[in-house]
Amino acid sequence: MKKNIILAAVLTTVLATTACRKEYFPSTQIDETSALTNAGDIETATIGTYALFKDLNYVRSGHFLTEFPSDEVAQGQNSSDDLTNLYKYTHLINSSHASLFWSQSYKAAGAANKIIQVIDDNATSDLKQLKGENLYIRAMMHFNLVRIFGRPYYQNSGDNPGIPILKEGLTDDQKLTLPRSKVKDVYDFIIADLIKAADLMTVAKTNPFASKEVAYALLSRVYLYQENNQKAIEYASKVISSGRYALLQGAEYQTYFRAAPEGNKETIFCTRHIKTEDRGYSAIGSMYYSGDANGVAQNQAFSGWGEIYASKKYFDFLSTNPADKRLSFISSYKVNGVVQNNTKLTPNTPMHYINKYNLQEGIVNLSSPVYLRLSEMYLNRAEANAKLNNDQLALDDVNIIRTRAGIPNYTIASVAAAGKSILDVVLEERWLEHAFEGQRAYDLFRNGRSMIRNYPGTHAVSGNVNQTVTAFDNRVVSYIPLTEINKNPALTQNP
Amino acid sequence: MKKLLLFLILLSSMHKLYAQELAVSGTVKDNKGQPIPGIVVTESERNTSTQTNGEGYFSIKTSKASTLVFRGIGYTSQSVKATSSVINISLVESTTDLSDVMVVGYSTKKRSELSSAVSVVSGEKLNDVTSVSLGTLLQGKVPGVVASSASGDPTSGSSIVIRGAGTINASTGPLYVVDGNIGGSYNPSDVESVTVLRDAAATGLYGSRAANGVVIITTKKGKSGETRFSLSSVVGFAKATTGNFKLMDAQQLYDYQSTFFTPAPASLNNNTNWWDLAFRNAMVNNHTLTASGGTEKSQFYIAGNYYKEEGTLIDNDKTQYSLRANLTSQLTKRLKLTALLNGLYVNDNYNSAGTVYQAYLNLPYDPAYNTDGTPVDARYGTWYGRDRSNFLHSLQYNYSKARSYRTTADLNLDYNILDNLTLSTYNRANIYNYRSSSYYDKRTKEGATNNGSAYLGNSFSSTLLSSNRLKYNVTFGQHNLSVLAVGEIEKGYSDSNSASAKGLPAGRDAFSTATDIINNPTGGYDNYQFIKYLAQADYSLADKYFAVASVVNEYSSRFGSNNPDATFYQLGASWIITKEKFMESVKPISFLKLRASYGTTGNADGIGYYASMGLYNINSNASYAGLPGAAPSQMANPDLTWEKSKSVNLGLDIQLFKRIDISIDAYQKTNSSLLFFRELPATTGYSGVYENVGVIRNRGLELNITSKNFVKKDFTWETNFNIALNRNKVLEVNQGRSEVYAGASQPIGVGHNMDEWFMPVWAGVDPANGKPLWQNSIADADGNSYVLYTNTYNLASRVYTGKSSAPKFTGGLSNTFSYKAFTLSTFFNFVYGNYVYNTSRFYFDNDGLYESYNQMQLANGWSRWEKPGDIATHPKPVFGRSDASNQTSTRYLENGSYLRLRNVTLGYNVPANFAKKLYLQNARIFVSGDNLWTLTRFSGTDPEVDLASGDSSIKYPTSRKFMFGINISF
Repeated sequence: MKKNIILAAVLTTVLATTACRKEYFPSTQIDETSALTNAGDIETATIGTYALFKDLNYVRSGHFLTEFPSDEVAQGQNSSDDLTNLYKYTHLINSSHASLFWSQSYKAAGAANKIIQVIDDNATSDLKQLKGENLYIRAMMHFNLVRIFGRPYYQNSGDNPGIPILKEGLTDDQKLTLPRSKVKDVYDFIIADLIKAADLMTVAKTNPFASKEVAYALLSRVYLYQENNQKAIEYASKVISSGRYALLQGAEYQTYFRAAPEGNKETIFCTRHIKTEDRGYSAIGSMYYSGDANGVAQNQAFSGWGEIYASKKYFDFLSTNPADKRLSFISSYKVNGVVQNNTKLTPNTPMHYINKYNLQEGIVNLSSPVYLRLSEMYLNRAEANAKLNNDQLALDDVNIIRTRAGIPNYTIASVAAAGKSILDVVLEERWLEHAFEGQRAYDLFRNGRSMIRNYPGTHAVSGNVNQTVTAFDNRVVSYIPLTEINKNPALTQNP
Repeated sequence: MKKLLLFLILLSSMHKLYAQELAVSGTVKDNKGQPIPGIVVTESERNTSTQTNGEGYFSIKTSKASTLVFRGIGYTSQSVKATSSVINISLVESTTDLSDVMVVGYSTKKRSELSSAVSVVSGEKLNDVTSVSLGTLLQGKVPGVVASSASGDPTSGSSIVIRGAGTINASTGPLYVVDGNIGGSYNPSDVESVTVLRDAAATGLYGSRAANGVVIITTKKGKSGETRFSLSSVVGFAKATTGNFKLMDAQQLYDYQSTFFTPAPASLNNNTNWWDLAFRNAMVNNHTLTASGGTEKSQFYIAGNYYKEEGTLIDNDKTQYSLRANLTSQLTKRLKLTALLNGLYVNDNYNSAGTVYQAYLNLPYDPAYNTDGTPVDARYGTWYGRDRSNFLHSLQYNYSKARSYRTTADLNLDYNILDNLTLSTYNRANIYNYRSSSYYDKRTKEGATNNGSAYLGNSFSSTLLSSNRLKYNVTFGQHNLSVLAVGEIEKGYSDSNSASAKGLPAGRDAFSTATDIINNPTGGYDNYQFIKYLAQADYSLADKYFAVASVVNEYSSRFGSNNPDATFYQLGASWIITKEKFMESVKPISFLKLRASYGTTGNADGIGYYASMGLYNINSNASYAGLPGAAPSQMANPDLTWEKSKSVNLGLDIQLFKRIDISIDAYQKTNSSLLFFRELPATTGYSGVYENVGVIRNRGLELNITSKNFVKKDFTWETNFNIALNRNKVLEVNQGRSEVYAGASQPIGVGHNMDEWFMPVWAGVDPANGKPLWQNSIADADGNSYVLYTNTYNLASRVYTGKSSAPKFTGGLSNTFSYKAFTLSTFFNFVYGNYVYNTSRFYFDNDGLYESYNQMQLANGWSRWEKPGDIATHPKPVFGRSDASNQTSTRYLENGSYLRLRNVTLGYNVPANFAKKLYLQNARIFVSGDNLWTLTRFSGTDPEVDLASGDSSIKYPTSRKFMFGINISF
């Protein structure tokens, strides 16, 4: 009897716990081996690639890195955020924005590679479209990286250090020790990707997504930066003549950034943020605007930090033509009709809020940052023509933009009378039109021009409002993030 | 599982007749002839027990020839054969607790039999400080246990580290075992004892998850005898400590700012003390009512507790209701049932307005109230502070709160198959539900942009655990062997959801009143499983030599498909030297024991449930333009396996003159295969990957001394002193690398303490021009290195500073005096040799960079540069400076050592005859003070920080409490 009980006891103890071992899977993640097994999965994963650069670390830090070193913005007070260093040209080697942007860019490129390498070039047209979209994204990631971390192409003919090229098919070891490629090699890689992407894409998707003309549009910009003017004109013209896009006019233009972007005929490509993706105080627009959802400006820190203003230099230049419709993108903070000053600095900084990143679909801090729009194609073509001495062609395109803005056209004579070159007026128009869109600093530096910041802002030391940054200044480019150099010693630092 | 229950039910129906019964009664007195209440009398044959009443009287049914054992705290146990019906006993006060029975892992043992480093804290000692956080209660009471809390917020917890941290990404917290099973809930007021297992021989049975030590909590059980009611009530006040820290007032700030900036003269119109508006005299309430008692066969302990601690910060409090019901019943002679139930209901009120931040940084220039007494809405009009926030305005309407409910239910059965063979099944269900909600009214700054917003979060988790144990005991001659076999399975499940809404009418917080959502709802669920088998053999010879050996195998669903399970083993031995003949002549040494142990344990916590898998994220972060997406989120590592810890412990227990107990332990703990999220270069497309990397070693010494300095009839004085030192060193990081987080401020570098700080070295202020200086170390071609000084932050060398956030040693000192009916106890704890990074000085000690944050007054010995030649600690203030003087450097790295008077309690026991007039068995009243005094050089409000991060950021300081309490039983 007792023996039986002991046996039973031992057996029970073992039985009770010999329950089968189970392997569990997460509910909000899927196994990578099942992520790309069919066309439907690949489509889902492609959405995921877009989502990676919709990430705050990409959109926000990328915007700060490209826009704040320009002369169209003024920081009205010191901020504890690293953005202050970008604005003042006092970059830190451990800059948080540079580090966040760098790593998020390569995450997106890495995700694109996973898809690029599973789709054969002879696959179905649906799959080829997806491959093309991923190639476009990879190119866009590399282009923005090389803009920020590599010197302008024209300097040393692209022979300066650029950024690591993350192409498909690298081994794990190669990825761990990827060195910086030269600027020109990065450009070649980007151009090859974009040409192939345009070739593979056949579906005219809406502007949050890549399509053939989106690749053409970026090619136009890349060629322009590369000083390959003929090609810049060729691809700008392809986009313009595609008939897919039209310049917005009148009131619709003046509220360009407030509607859902899909219906916007001018936008070629934007990073779509839907209504539930309002980032509040962490949004780009929080830095630019503080006010209510009707667009009425209020004090700083009312709805956002509101401490990066349109610079006095830009505002005064834009106001040369009081009828300029682009004044609608400035929401100056006024009390009793008087523009208020941020009095934290001497001289005081006028509080010209910018609303290009706010008020989408009635939400104060919501925006879908526009990366490419039709107006740029006219201005790319104008700039390339100006450099090729096709003065009238250049002015024709400039005048299309000026007409839409409601301001007088230029003639060759009037340009000369004003003592300006054709390229001067093209770049001025580009500045007026694309202010706050992350282009100004590059437009100046890639043309060898200096950034002159003769206006109030935190960059002014002891009230001296003259800061000039030449195209050969070390800080025209950011430092490679220190953490990345520490993880990958093959990376060299910028001086 | 079902089979087991069926089997046990069958077993329980098998009765056997008892042997001949005998009723025994008697009185227990001390050596002065005073009756002793509360002595536990246990009958050996049937394993029933009772307790003496207020007159020391007991009665119990026994069978002939069984043995009665008399045990009580503070008395030496005695065993007597039950040969007559009246037994009067005189117990001797024990000068030692060596015979105390301790709960150790899966068994109980006498302290003298242990081969391990084990400490026990009684419920009474534990609860001298008023808190419901175990870490706060344990601080300084056990050598080698470092408790620290990052905040004085009553809704936040504290962390416990035993014998130094030895892991990087896995959890550093110990494993908690409540009433014999892993996990579970409890309220400190119901704790009978806390046992801390520090070495591998003791923790080994919890092998796989015990690498950080084990804390065993045993709750109070009923004792047979008259039903006893007791009430414990504590009421008091708390106030935030501010240490050496002082903020500037309006005039001070104005004068300071005038040296680099032109503040508006109107700023002096106000002088608001935001700190005083943010903090308050808070009230603390702690009331416990218990009933316990029972018959010989069944005993119960039932307790209800109400705890309410207001934060010293306004709009912040914690309210906890708890119920415990512990029932034990001898169902048959051989079958014992234990049912334990604990329910905790907690209401947390978080402050919703960032009030601590504003208390530090809002400017005294800005007014808090309008002339009509209403709070100022900082969004409008003149406001000098950067954030345009006035918490007083927001707190009128907004809230952030949570409620949680936790239940633990245990059902344990012990069946004596034979007299020396027991089959036990311990089963537990643990359920936890947490709901947080917050509301931001459209009238406030926080709610305005969303036209009123509300957030809701719900989470649920459950664990089911079954532990089945077979214990066998055999004695032959002087040999005693006990063998234990255990099979255990644990299954965990959790889920969570969150939602947000906007467009709510003013003053309306119900979700149904909202017109839109802010973000997409979130939600998901997780499962995990552990399966464990262990065997242990425990051997003793002549109660003099002891040896223990065990082996554990455990499976976890968290690890990679290649290595999901691991085997751990432990060995321990000890020798009571004083039982040897040759020691008999050494009179001063009344007890001497040598202990040694070696073993391996594991760690699996803190890395998430799926760390080994290669994953694509499919949550809404991976969606784009409203379409669902999937994005690579985690790199696969199918080889990922348990973190392993090898530890060796040598210990010595000495008792001198029968009144001084000394325990010394030396240990070395080497953790290898460390679980670690290795950061990868961005070009891999991932942030990093979970790997088993590196080796970290902790070595240390622990000393515990308890001395009865003075024992007289009316006056006793007892001292306890404990101190522990731990030295940590990183021995290896994988792939020949020299550090884990290259370039981080705590990089975990080979050859260094894992918490060592790495940053530019601040070299003070250039006397010539008042600019900041950092060290720039360079080496020439011959390898000679020189230290230069630079004004350029980017050129400053980043170096190991030799300073660590881990203390060099920690400990506590307690003294208890009793004179007649009065007792006075004092308890100090100390932390020495750690460095705290005072992060917030970035804001409030910024040398003019920001004019829109309030500034701290210079601490003692600090000075600002004013003119050439000044030797100063602080650079010349420059408005909007761009020289990075407030960036990470040793400038803000401060000595975090402190000595703190944690508690002073003065108690008075109401004389028994007076108590009796009030129909009370006994009554005690006391006054007590927590954190009354602190000695430190730290410049912030509170040197007590979370020692793992070693960082003090917008610190909510701990509080100083004054309590009044009463304990009565009737």
